[in-house]
Amino acid sequence: MRILVVEDDPLLATGLKRVLSCSGHAIDCAATGLQADNLLRGAAYELVVLDVGLPDIDGFEVLRRFRQRRMRANVLVLTARDAIEDRVHGLDLGADDYLTKPFAIAEFEARVRALLRRTSAPASALTFRGLTVDTEVKRVKVNDVPVDLTVREWALLELFLARPGRVLSKEQIAQQLVNYDDSLSLNTIEVYVSRLRSKIEAGGVKIRTVRGFGYLWEAEGA
Amino acid sequence: MPEESERAPSIRRRLLAFLVPALLLLVGCAVVLSYVLAERAATTAYDRSLLDPALDMAENVRLGANGPQLDMLAQEQEALLYDHEDTLVFQIRDSAGKLIAGVPDLPLAPPLQAEQRPLFFDAVYKGKPLRVAAIRGASGFTVQVGETLNKRHRLVRETLAAEFLPTVLIALASVALAWTVVAHGIAPLGRLRSQLLARSPHDLRPLDERNAPVEIAPAIEAFNHLLCQLRDSNAVQQRFLANASHQLRTPLAALQMHLELLLRRELPGDVHHEIEAMHIATTRATRLANQLLLLAKAEVSAEQARPKSVVNLRTLADVAVQEWVPRAIAREIDLGFELADASIVGDPVLLAESLNNLIDNALRYTPPGGSATVRCGTRLREAFLTVEDSGSGIPEWAHQRVFERFFRIQGTPGEGAGLGLAIVREVADQHAARIVMESTAGSGTRIVLVFSAVGVEASRSSDA
Repeated sequence: MRILVVEDDPLLATGLKRVLSCSGHAIDCAATGLQADNLLRGAAYELVVLDVGLPDIDGFEVLRRFRQRRMRANVLVLTARDAIEDRVHGLDLGADDYLTKPFAIAEFEARVRALLRRTSAPASALTFRGLTVDTEVKRVKVNDVPVDLTVREWALLELFLARPGRVLSKEQIAQQLVNYDDSLSLNTIEVYVSRLRSKIEAGGVKIRTVRGFGYLWEAEGA
Repeated sequence: MPEESERAPSIRRRLLAFLVPALLLLVGCAVVLSYVLAERAATTAYDRSLLDPALDMAENVRLGANGPQLDMLAQEQEALLYDHEDTLVFQIRDSAGKLIAGVPDLPLAPPLQAEQRPLFFDAVYKGKPLRVAAIRGASGFTVQVGETLNKRHRLVRETLAAEFLPTVLIALASVALAWTVVAHGIAPLGRLRSQLLARSPHDLRPLDERNAPVEIAPAIEAFNHLLCQLRDSNAVQQRFLANASHQLRTPLAALQMHLELLLRRELPGDVHHEIEAMHIATTRATRLANQLLLLAKAEVSAEQARPKSVVNLRTLADVAVQEWVPRAIAREIDLGFELADASIVGDPVLLAESLNNLIDNALRYTPPGGSATVRCGTRLREAFLTVEDSGSGIPEWAHQRVFERFFRIQGTPGEGAGLGLAIVREVADQHAARIVMESTAGSGTRIVLVFSAVGVEASRSSDA
């Protein structure tokens, strides 16, 4: 896939380029905001890795102009400034995700993967260790053995798959599943989760309980 | 200061030091003036009445063959000269100076010029001061009547007393008045003082000079000017921090990234080891830089920091869940949450960093298999944020000291620089929050931040 890296620090830029190249992507680099703006007008990218601190116009301005043209590529903002306030600003302007420097390569790769997964036509079959999920025909296999899921269990699984690596609170889950069940108490969710667990955990994936809060789907990568 | 040992100058004392001698001088002048006036008044009044017996005597002097004779009975003379206070004496001499009647040793009047024009003079008779009235009769005889000064002195005394007391009272009243007026006048200074005392050292807003008296306003103005300069230098510092943070983190990010790329290669064992050590050092430097910058940021004036807003501690904890649960899992620590709404007024960035530091500490000092719990909620109009762990604990002697910068308990494992809890305290100070620590070595640590809550009713109703 085609990715634009906008980073003025040459050391960091070459590092990012190397990391992304390893995953087999086509990388363009821009060292200034105006250069990035020009490149974004000329070509279509699936992902833009955008540094906020740039020598001419800052990353937020590049992002603003980009979104003004109603371009839909995913944008991962990098910043060296203090996180939260910039994060809000960046997300308001239409950034899709956010990473504070310095970061571990693994973290960066995970974010990139998650963002690219959004744009790519959803692969009909996802594989997590021994678990295979076919989202099109809503079929699940654990170690190549088909497993039957109820409608609610399937909805729950989809919820976890849509937010890999995120801790979901019981309240969030209740809100998402309320369409399937009129009276959904937090206890009911525990029951659903434990049923889903017993059906799929044999495949090597794990739904961790975060005490007092919710659940974490632990099946990063494949 | 060199004048430290001397007494500080006081407006009141200085005013009194000027006022009291001036009033004493004025009272003295007033007394002298009243004395002079009273004496003159007494002299004029009693001289006139002293003239009466002299004239009476002169009326009764008859010209006989042997010259002038006093034609008056002894009782008549006595009655004429009677006075209940003073002793009166008389003397009549003829034109040649021969004594006709009365006491012989009354001093002679200076030569009288015109007939019947009375003359008054002071004299001494038998060792006593006298006032003497002298007149000359038609045939050249002289009548002198002398009187002791008792009633004259009494009148002067009475007049003086009548005037002295009010004068002294007015003087005393002036001093008292000056004392209270000064107190009243410097009352704005007292208000200014309490206004300054109530201020947090981070509050650099200008003082309110609208209600200040014109005498103090210039001082307040100058003070505000100073505050303004301080604010400016704070703003410069803030910009420096933002830049420093960017400039430090970017090369650290590049360093970390290239080390990680290197670590992905096939490397000889010892090289891999060295690079891993470099990677750990880089992470440590990064963390230290982050914490130092954060500490500096938390220190800057409250006004320079972003305006405070209503923050729900539960929302902050919700955000922290995403960041810390994966790390806790990696460290095999059971990180749990008991979150209820707890709204306070504060700076969300600093509060979030404070929470991050508490959780970071809890995970760092809890061995694998242990647990940590984050709690927040509202109780009795107070909002609390608690982080509790089952870790190594903090010995009692260090409970205060762990909040000091760069303080680490000797022998503590891990890579911390001892800034985490210093940040927590700085942020707590900025939010007027209380820190409660319960911990003993070996049995875990609980740190509670207690804030004053806002919208208690609102959060309670959303709980229901």
